[in-house]
Amino acid sequence: MSTPDTTLGGARPSLELGRALRSRIDGPVRQVLTAVAALILVLIAYFLLRLYLEARPVFANYGALNFVTDNAWVPSKDSFGAWPLIAGTLITSVIALIIGVPVAVASALYITELAPARIRGVLTTLIELLAAVPSVVYGLWGVFFLIPKIRPAEQWFSDTFAFLPFIGGGTVAGPNYFIAGLILAIMIIPIISSISREVLDTVPREHKEAALALGATRWEMIRMAVLPYSRAGISGAAMLGLGRALGETIAVTLVIGNAPRIGESIFSQGYTLAAVIANEFGEAASDPVHRAALIAAGLVLFMLTLIVNFIARWFVTRSEKRLSAAAAASHAPVQTAGAKA
Amino acid sequence: MTVRILPTAAVGTAALLAIGLAACGSDDSSNGDTGSSDSKATLSGSITGAGATFPQPVYTEWAADLKEQGLTVNYQGIGSGGGIAQFTAGTTDFGATDSAMDDDELKAAEAKGTPVHIPSVFGAVTVSYNVSGVEKGLKLDGETTANIFLGKVKKWNDASIAKQNEGVTLPDADITVCHRSDESGTTKLFTTYLAAYSKAWEDGPGVDKSVDWPTGTGAKGNDGVAACVKQTDGAVGYVEEAYALQNQFTFASLKNKAGQYVEPTLDSTSAAGDGVDVPEDLRFSAINAPGDASYPIASATFLLVYQDLCKAGADEAKAKNVKAWLDYALGDGQSKAESLNYAPLPSAILEKAKAKVAGLQCNGAAIG
Amino acid sequence: MTSPAAPLRSLPTISAARRRKDKAARSIVAVLTGLALVPLALVLFYLFQQGLGAWSVDFFTTDPTGRSCFPGQTSCDIGGVRSAIVGTVEIIALASAFAIPLGIAVAVYLVEYGKKTKFANTVRYFVDVMTGVPSIVFGLFVYIVLVVAGIGGSWGAWKGSVALALLMLPIVVRSSEVVLNLVPDQLRESALALGSPRWKVITSVVLPTARSGLITGSLLAVARAAGETAPLLFTAFGAAELTFGLSGQMNSLPLQIFNDVRAPQDAIVQRAWGAALLLVLMILALNLIARLAQRRSKIS
Repeated sequence: MSTPDTTLGGARPSLELGRALRSRIDGPVRQVLTAVAALILVLIAYFLLRLYLEARPVFANYGALNFVTDNAWVPSKDSFGAWPLIAGTLITSVIALIIGVPVAVASALYITELAPARIRGVLTTLIELLAAVPSVVYGLWGVFFLIPKIRPAEQWFSDTFAFLPFIGGGTVAGPNYFIAGLILAIMIIPIISSISREVLDTVPREHKEAALALGATRWEMIRMAVLPYSRAGISGAAMLGLGRALGETIAVTLVIGNAPRIGESIFSQGYTLAAVIANEFGEAASDPVHRAALIAAGLVLFMLTLIVNFIARWFVTRSEKRLSAAAAASHAPVQTAGAKA
Repeated sequence: MTVRILPTAAVGTAALLAIGLAACGSDDSSNGDTGSSDSKATLSGSITGAGATFPQPVYTEWAADLKEQGLTVNYQGIGSGGGIAQFTAGTTDFGATDSAMDDDELKAAEAKGTPVHIPSVFGAVTVSYNVSGVEKGLKLDGETTANIFLGKVKKWNDASIAKQNEGVTLPDADITVCHRSDESGTTKLFTTYLAAYSKAWEDGPGVDKSVDWPTGTGAKGNDGVAACVKQTDGAVGYVEEAYALQNQFTFASLKNKAGQYVEPTLDSTSAAGDGVDVPEDLRFSAINAPGDASYPIASATFLLVYQDLCKAGADEAKAKNVKAWLDYALGDGQSKAESLNYAPLPSAILEKAKAKVAGLQCNGAAIG
Repeated sequence: MTSPAAPLRSLPTISAARRRKDKAARSIVAVLTGLALVPLALVLFYLFQQGLGAWSVDFFTTDPTGRSCFPGQTSCDIGGVRSAIVGTVEIIALASAFAIPLGIAVAVYLVEYGKKTKFANTVRYFVDVMTGVPSIVFGLFVYIVLVVAGIGGSWGAWKGSVALALLMLPIVVRSSEVVLNLVPDQLRESALALGSPRWKVITSVVLPTARSGLITGSLLAVARAAGETAPLLFTAFGAAELTFGLSGQMNSLPLQIFNDVRAPQDAIVQRAWGAALLLVLMILALNLIARLAQRRSKIS
């Protein structure tokens, strides 16, 4: 009778020793990871600080507020008003999101929910292939293929819908905001789609089957069970895509016309913060104030990214709170019923 | 179950890192080229240069020639401003710029010593167009060209154009202007010419590497403007001469200072250098040069080195290599440049440049 | 006793309107998916059309000579892109070695340990800012901090890797965070309840569950970095000849494409498109290899 006890008693100390050792690693692991995160934080902070120092000459000479609000980017006359660049950045990014997000999320939905299993892998690879194309190729394809091909259609659209704001009539420029936004959309689709696909894949099967069991059609199941669950993840994907759209340099600079003014319609030439840096840096490097102005344009872009991401995160947190509150509310009556029974 | 991909990837990258770091240092002679057994492989080592994109094809061609002699010259076209900045920062052995350094840039560079401008080749800017029925050689003067680019002259059969081109049938077509959207020395040359003949241009967009264009479509790079001109009927744009000659564009004959309409050719480009007043430090501009045969939008492009290379940071071997590069540029390189559609330096300027190179020093002594 | 018909009658029937809505929605989703593939087909076709002609044995085995080879120069060789291929592989491998482990580690911290603390939120916002930085700014930063300061010589391919790693880092962190957040808490809690220490929960439960997503995010970052020119221009500088040393100048495919595509000679422009085609196929190959390896380790 003692034999089982002793063997068990003999085994227990080594089990406990192992467990103690393994738990002891926990503390250091946590510290190391915290240190890594802190390191990255310091690195990024240094990055922003260093660039701010480089940009200071233009703020001293020209004024920070003027830099952001003046509608006059004419380096040859030492005028650095970045407002047309900011406007161009916002316009092209909005167009990119409007076109890109629905297409990307739709493709992710299709792959995870609606596509026959055989072609799922092929479709996934094809979408990821969009990310493999270098940005300069998209830009050149835009210049040599897309712009001439799409121009008649743009002209027709501009003439037919001239009564709408920002569409209005006149000759459509070859490179313009719309084309830039379209090419950006194509570039951000793979990012948003791939990550959304991963997000949609993790929706628990029970949620989906419950909806279907209640008699929902496939689309209703997606709308009720899949999308709400994935909202945070999809918006994270969209924010990554937006980041790409805001910061894309070479493709945009090839297809937007690089005109430092705010065009009246989406078919006018324009300029963005990222494009101006790529365009002018080579020649501006030897002029301290111009160089500082370009780096300052970069800083403005960072601010923009921060603000947009902040809004997006706040939005998601708020909708998540609502979602969990609703879930809590719907669970309560069941529990009380169970308690009663 | 542990993640298995990370170990494999780590091993792979570690292996690559090992290869990389083990082979670090100078690897320029590990190329296994076969054809240089009879050539004078007297040089060795490598030098770096960066700057103007305009002469890049010539410089890389010269580099390929020197490679056969054992010297590696690594040149990247990052723009004239970048070239000056790198030269001033000391990260390159020589710089390259389309227009001479201005006083501010000179002052910044003087921290390391006296910068020397060495003209290498001449280039020109053509006014190229795509108008059905109009052949090469349309005659335009400075003021008309400025008015076209100002948007004042809107049609090809405008009176000001027709007046200069008797006998040429000009269509009643709109003029579409194509201009550069990026900063470039080519734009500066072109706008200098326009400003010389048009007060409206001088007061308006002015002269610079990038200006506020009153009309037209912006395109990036010479190839961008070329594409813009090719794709649109009735388009006109300004394109580097080498590019235009290579791709057989139709370009205009421009009126020069002497009142002659001159076609952009290698000869007329070099001729522009003949009449120009060249100062001691060779910081000159040949735009709107005097002389009957001079093409009005021609200019030299410059290589930048320090007068005393070693005091500026180079060692003796490097100084020798830089001098060998410059000697080649002003020697055999000139005929090579011509075969690539770049105009060689006119003889007077060539002699002055050679004298400058001969006067380069290493720590006070002439370079051997 | 219930008749067989009774259970059927008690189930709600799907109205014609809902059925129509369902069909319409599904068609729209399918159409939009097709729309996403149209530009891919066009771009790939264009790439093949422009670039396939440049492919030859020389294209892969010789370095670019720097010669322009005007028509008429018979014994002139523009060379291939060998040094660019080697350079891209090395620079991207080093950048990935920096960015991917670091990025995943930060994401693990944010999701497992940091959660909603002020510190973690600050890290999140800083990383968010980085997602929108234009690639050229990373190159400039590294240029200012490493090249001009002369740390380890002036130009260096490893500095280009650092710039690219900075570019990749926010993508890896953000996408990994999204994916790690989706690992159900029940999985973590059951493992913890069984007595597993936290770090083991992460390595044995969380990371494997999220593996597919982590790989997707990393591949996206690699694809992005492989196609960027600007960060390399002021750091790795570029070169024509083949170099292996990461401490010196090095060529790369995007740099080669960028230089070649502006040339007036058709043969050189074609070489640029050939290089672009090669780059796309290389990344495709990487994708497929990663997926294959992932599937194989899942089985074992």
